[in-house]
Amino acid sequence: MSLASCLLLAAALFCVGLYGLLARRQIVAILLSIELMANAANLVFVAFGHYRGGALGQVFAVFSIALTVAEVAVGLALAMLLYRRHGDSRVELASEMKR
Amino acid sequence: MQSPWLSVLSFLVVSTLVGLGMIGAGRVLRVRARHDSPLKVRPYECGEEPTGPAWMQFHPRYYLVALVFVLFDVEAVFLLPWGVVQRELGPAGVGAALVFVAVLMLGWLYAVRKEALKWQ
Amino acid sequence: MNIALALSPLLVVALGALLLMLAEAFSPRQGGLALGAATVLFVGAAVAGGVWMYGIERLPEAASLAPWLLLDRFGLFFDMLLCLGGGLAALLAGGYLVEHGIERGEFYVLILFATLGAMILASSGDAVTLFLGLETMSLGAYAMTAFRRASPRAAEGALKYFLLGSFAAAILIYGFALLYGATGHTDLAGIGATAATARTPLLVVGAVLVIVGVAFKVSAVPFHAWTPDAYEGAPTPATTFMAVAVKAGAFALLLRVLLIALGDASWTSWAAGWPPVVATLAVLTMTVANLIAGRQESVKRMLAYSSIAHAGYALVGVTALMRDPTQAGASVLFYLLSYTVSTAGAFGALILCGSHGREAVSYEDLSGLGRRHPAAALAFSLFLLSLAGIPPTAGFFGKWFVFKAAIDGGLYWLAILGFVNSVIGAYYYLRVMVYMYMREPAAGAPVALPMRSGYVTAALLVSALFVLALGLVPTRAIEVAVRAATLGAG
Repeated sequence: MSLASCLLLAAALFCVGLYGLLARRQIVAILLSIELMANAANLVFVAFGHYRGGALGQVFAVFSIALTVAEVAVGLALAMLLYRRHGDSRVELASEMKR
Repeated sequence: MQSPWLSVLSFLVVSTLVGLGMIGAGRVLRVRARHDSPLKVRPYECGEEPTGPAWMQFHPRYYLVALVFVLFDVEAVFLLPWGVVQRELGPAGVGAALVFVAVLMLGWLYAVRKEALKWQ
Repeated sequence: MNIALALSPLLVVALGALLLMLAEAFSPRQGGLALGAATVLFVGAAVAGGVWMYGIERLPEAASLAPWLLLDRFGLFFDMLLCLGGGLAALLAGGYLVEHGIERGEFYVLILFATLGAMILASSGDAVTLFLGLETMSLGAYAMTAFRRASPRAAEGALKYFLLGSFAAAILIYGFALLYGATGHTDLAGIGATAATARTPLLVVGAVLVIVGVAFKVSAVPFHAWTPDAYEGAPTPATTFMAVAVKAGAFALLLRVLLIALGDASWTSWAAGWPPVVATLAVLTMTVANLIAGRQESVKRMLAYSSIAHAGYALVGVTALMRDPTQAGASVLFYLLSYTVSTAGAFGALILCGSHGREAVSYEDLSGLGRRHPAAALAFSLFLLSLAGIPPTAGFFGKWFVFKAAIDGGLYWLAILGFVNSVIGAYYYLRVMVYMYMREPAAGAPVALPMRSGYVTAALLVSALFVLALGLVPTRAIEVAVRAATLGAG
């Protein structure tokens, strides 16, 4: 697979994630979208790491995956908090405060 | 006689024998059900009875245990590259990995103490 | 041993956080954790001060951690600043959480870990450590925001904060991924060396994404949408922590990125670099935040917008980095210090004015406070004057140095806009004082009673001391800031 196709795939993943972030209403789906965006970045790192040689790109990807998982753990905890209150976890439920 | 292919051949023979043996043992030992038995249309011929649809909601407890599992699971990823180059790193590398695992253990201790892993 | 000495501020806070975590889980008594957390953080600040005095340059092994951790005076300055901010937040939490019946030990542990993350962020010289610090800091802040589990507002604020925060983090790492692709480096210095010679489209897109990600974290307009809700929904000590330590950490990140990775003359020129972008952010942030802050009916929300506006003033100083990195950098550092103590004090005073499950939120809650509780009103007034930038307080010199840096850099219009904005800002700070001293509470209205807490009083005294000291004799502090900024540039 060429570098360009990897980068295109990553850009597409990032855009799909961005679209999901803006369009989906279910918190878990939004979390998935954010995860997609982070993984697009990881893909770019690994692709460039392969292209340039050395372990740097992969090292970053491993760290980034671990940190994103920690982030999603907190996100799921927040979704559960909302679910316990409302029995549902759509983002509209969290809109009491005015903009 | 010590051809490298001998071990491959013996492996093939043994694995075929084991496979055939298991099928044969099944034929001899199985409990036969009649053709019109309701057992024939069950998803699983033996084991748990499935209850309710698969698209059910899971108890929130699963999430807590799953979260803790995934966190430690991912932290373990860092030990793999360490293991690969562990010889080159020498004692300092072992020390660093021990500190890393010790900190993780503290986290595990915390989770246990907070009863995050207890199923009520 | 030198390496341990150089790392000692980080080690103190890290070990303190682990110990406190275990103490919280295993000790039958729950009291004293606030004191423990504050002690750890103040000791961390003192140790950082000690290393500063001893001279980090005399610890040559510290350099061996580069580029992962840049242990320099810039990092030490932020260690002190962040430990101070975190310590004040811990003290405030010691009073607030008990008073409002949500005292659980995790809060102090979260403060310690989040402060540690911010310190790592401020010392990081590589995208890996940078991201590690950023996430450690942010995750702690998300959890603290949602700490009042029974409140829907807390959950809502935390959710917005989390979603936009992790979105920003994703943009930031995507930016760094592109920068890595363009330069082959993840360390800021390496990126900077390559960025100075060759400017590819990939590099520019990466730099833009990184700046956008950081702008989210410092909550610059138009990336500020999460801030008011998160600040309002969070328990006030968590708000204090976010406004003080998280913001300072994000500014440390911004300064490191702009000075080291994009510090070359080709990037700091007005025609072809980041200064116009940062200047636009600064103007938008100051103006929009000030205009909205004046319309708020909740004092807590007003202070949230005020903290956005203050990020705008600091960004004025950041823009001035283009001419004189040392002087402008020092002005930003001094600004952050004065902002930290003033904001922590203002939120602390707001905490002091509420009691027993009822926070003081609206302006009406504060009316007549000057007569009923002169000490609380006096403390609040001092911090408000400092936020408004009226001498003889820290805030005055903070703004003075930042605007002076802008004028020295030839950015007259930016300095004028900043000055106009601080005049607008004075309106809503003084409005609080008008309510405190010139209004009487409406008959029959529920009056918020001030609480009594040694912790909160101690935090207010420390903040007041700093506000007055920086306002009366700023020279020593600005010298320290100049030394910190000098090495940060190198």
